[in-house]
Amino acid sequence: MESIPVANPIKPDKSVITTCAYCGVGCGFKAETHQGRIVRMMPWKEGKANHGHSCIKGRFAFDYYVSDDRITTPLIRKSIDDPWTPVTWEKAISHAATELRRVQAKYGNKSVGAISSSRCTNEEIFLTQKFARAVLGNNNIDNCARICHSPTQFGLSATVGWGAASQHFDSIMQADVIMVVGANPTEGHPVFGSLLKRRVRQGAKLIVIDPRKTETVESPHIKAEVHLNLRPGTNVAVLDSIANVIVREKLFNEAFVKERCEWDEFQRWAEFVSSDRYSPEVIGADAGIDPELIRKAARIYASGPNSAIYYGLGVTEHSQGSTGVMCLGNLSLACGMLGREGVGINPLRGQGNVQGGSCLGSWPHVFSGYRFVTDDDVRKTFEDDWGVTLDAEPGLRLPNMFDAAIAGHFRGMYIMGEDPVQSDPNQNHIIEAMRQMECVVIQDLFLNETSKYAHVFLPGSSSLEKDGSFTSAERRVNRVRKVVEPLAGYQDWEVLVMLMNAMGNPAKYAHAGEILDEVARLSPAYKGISFDLLDRIGSAQWPCDENAPEGTEVLHREKFPRANGRGTFMLTEYVPTAERTNDQFPLLLTTGRILTQYNVGTQTRRTANNRWHAEDVLEISEHDAKTRGISDGDRVRIASRFGSTELKAKYSTRVGSGIVYTTFHHAETRINVVTSDLSDWATNCPEYKVTAVEVVRVEKTKAAARSRKAKRSETVTA
Amino acid sequence: MNPSSADPASKLPSRAISIDRLIVMANQIAAFFAPYPDARRAEGVRNHLRTYWDPRMRQDLIDYVATGGEGLSPYVCDGVRLLTNGEDRKGYYGPPKS
Repeated sequence: MESIPVANPIKPDKSVITTCAYCGVGCGFKAETHQGRIVRMMPWKEGKANHGHSCIKGRFAFDYYVSDDRITTPLIRKSIDDPWTPVTWEKAISHAATELRRVQAKYGNKSVGAISSSRCTNEEIFLTQKFARAVLGNNNIDNCARICHSPTQFGLSATVGWGAASQHFDSIMQADVIMVVGANPTEGHPVFGSLLKRRVRQGAKLIVIDPRKTETVESPHIKAEVHLNLRPGTNVAVLDSIANVIVREKLFNEAFVKERCEWDEFQRWAEFVSSDRYSPEVIGADAGIDPELIRKAARIYASGPNSAIYYGLGVTEHSQGSTGVMCLGNLSLACGMLGREGVGINPLRGQGNVQGGSCLGSWPHVFSGYRFVTDDDVRKTFEDDWGVTLDAEPGLRLPNMFDAAIAGHFRGMYIMGEDPVQSDPNQNHIIEAMRQMECVVIQDLFLNETSKYAHVFLPGSSSLEKDGSFTSAERRVNRVRKVVEPLAGYQDWEVLVMLMNAMGNPAKYAHAGEILDEVARLSPAYKGISFDLLDRIGSAQWPCDENAPEGTEVLHREKFPRANGRGTFMLTEYVPTAERTNDQFPLLLTTGRILTQYNVGTQTRRTANNRWHAEDVLEISEHDAKTRGISDGDRVRIASRFGSTELKAKYSTRVGSGIVYTTFHHAETRINVVTSDLSDWATNCPEYKVTAVEVVRVEKTKAAARSRKAKRSETVTA
Repeated sequence: MNPSSADPASKLPSRAISIDRLIVMANQIAAFFAPYPDARRAEGVRNHLRTYWDPRMRQDLIDYVATGGEGLSPYVCDGVRLLTNGEDRKGYYGPPKS
């Protein structure tokens, strides 16, 4: 639904500095209010990521918070087939607590778990993992980074030691070569995208590795020096081939490797990638690109002198997502492109607080700071602080929870601010799992696809209604400030504290800053971070401690955060995905996002931004469309081995023949019915970027009838 | 915590998640560590299963290997055999140790 734009200009009577939640850039904004209602979001000049710039999401898409769809009364129901019953907060909390304990008594301690969201603050994410570990008594805690950047944590930890960007955003202004892999910052991270374009206009060379000819590849005054438009699923092969050229032509930085890295592992890696099977001629043919372009990319990257890598979900969301991240780690180490301004390896994070979600222990295997739950010493520090004995074994990951539900071992979950039924792959499988649950507690702004399978709904608060902090993609901890009072009466962390108390945990915090103090006490990289510091200096990049009291812009200057201080190399064999095209499913579907909308669209679809992107469309090359009798704008059915859905086709020159592309912003598109359930070998991050499909034109009369039927079945009474 | 003496989980179905899913996941892990020499490859698989897998999933895999492990890569079986009581359970990132 669309809200009516607020008449402007209205003279604001109050202004609060806070941080945008829409992507990992973390832009600072002055949220201006008039009589308690937000009338304007003004980009903040002192914001260290945006310096006064903004995009059309952060600037304009804020009205969702007063949408008529907001749920402000707690709801409960016995069965998912019953209608919701509005109840008091006390009743809802006590019902959720009793039900979760009942499920644990019936199916065992480990039959329940919790999910946190990167839309929530650091304080809320930390508290959610504390809830799982200290209250539910297990490590069944995961967060939405599982389905986007979990391979970043794994792949970067393995090579350079920390699963985070090595640089601050402004570092790009010192880069001579910018390599963008599987990311489209001009749409996904617009304010950083503009900075990147500015640097390219100043003369930096741009390499783009992406199946699509995105706006980052070519736009006014911008043209990539090299665009490797590889076939989806061949990232690792192509990156290994780039390494092959770098090793064979001796373009690596031997002095850097000898001084800063594990030389033996380097030698093993160099021998591995220089094999003929990774030569540009062999890989080029497989990936559908000119071998000479692979050579050119390798030579440009290695020659720098300052080369910086920026990458996105086009690297991670593959069955070899973690391997792809390791390839990037290997390349930057081999060429000595770490430890100073203008270089580095930088994941572009999709949501405002994905980095925070990753840092703060919302994982089944690690506490905050990526320290294993299986490590007795680490676990003891948490046990001492929290006064409980903690589970010494890793818990279930989000996709494992769904699998375990189907097998009969998992029966309840608490979900803060996530909508896995819409956002997670192979939707039919997830729905089957959700139907097995006996107690799903969901805390959100709106009823969503997942709440259809929930038993308790706790009204959430938007980032405009709460205090806390976000950690952006550049490791910058930014302050989130309460601009307006929470519509439902409580900030999300307050609701969770009530639930913890009802389940017997004495947690008590006077304000969100006290949770951040607990984070700092228990997480070495956040040791020096506090509300006081953030209020005083605006923001700080972790690590922030006695050695770096105002934070650290560039990582790895002298050593890598590994036991011996050295970077290392991983052997990254290319293993083609099991998802293959054939006669029945001859096209490859890859998915992504668009500038005006945000993820599953819960927020942006409820603002005037919806006018720019009112529906998801299927980008298809004219050649592929015409051979199927599809005209521009026709309604088409897209089918994979997993399911099918319908949407409108759009001729596009951005995708080559054999590839189709769409976004996942609209629930009615149900594109994740189509996506496969294959996942990354190391982290189970889903392979959203490669699904074999076929596309057929839908007869107009049939399409209209189906659309009417779908609309009828979506009408629900709340 | 819930102080029940008899663990209700003991009455649940024998496998925590489908064995087909576990086989796919385990074989993917083995495929990653394939280029390493024998001992390091097995250690890489072991460390991964030890530090990333829920103990029920791990036990299901151990039991499955004991019954012959049909469909599993031999590299998985080598790693699983190292999952013993005396193993290093601390976990680490980076290349498999030799």
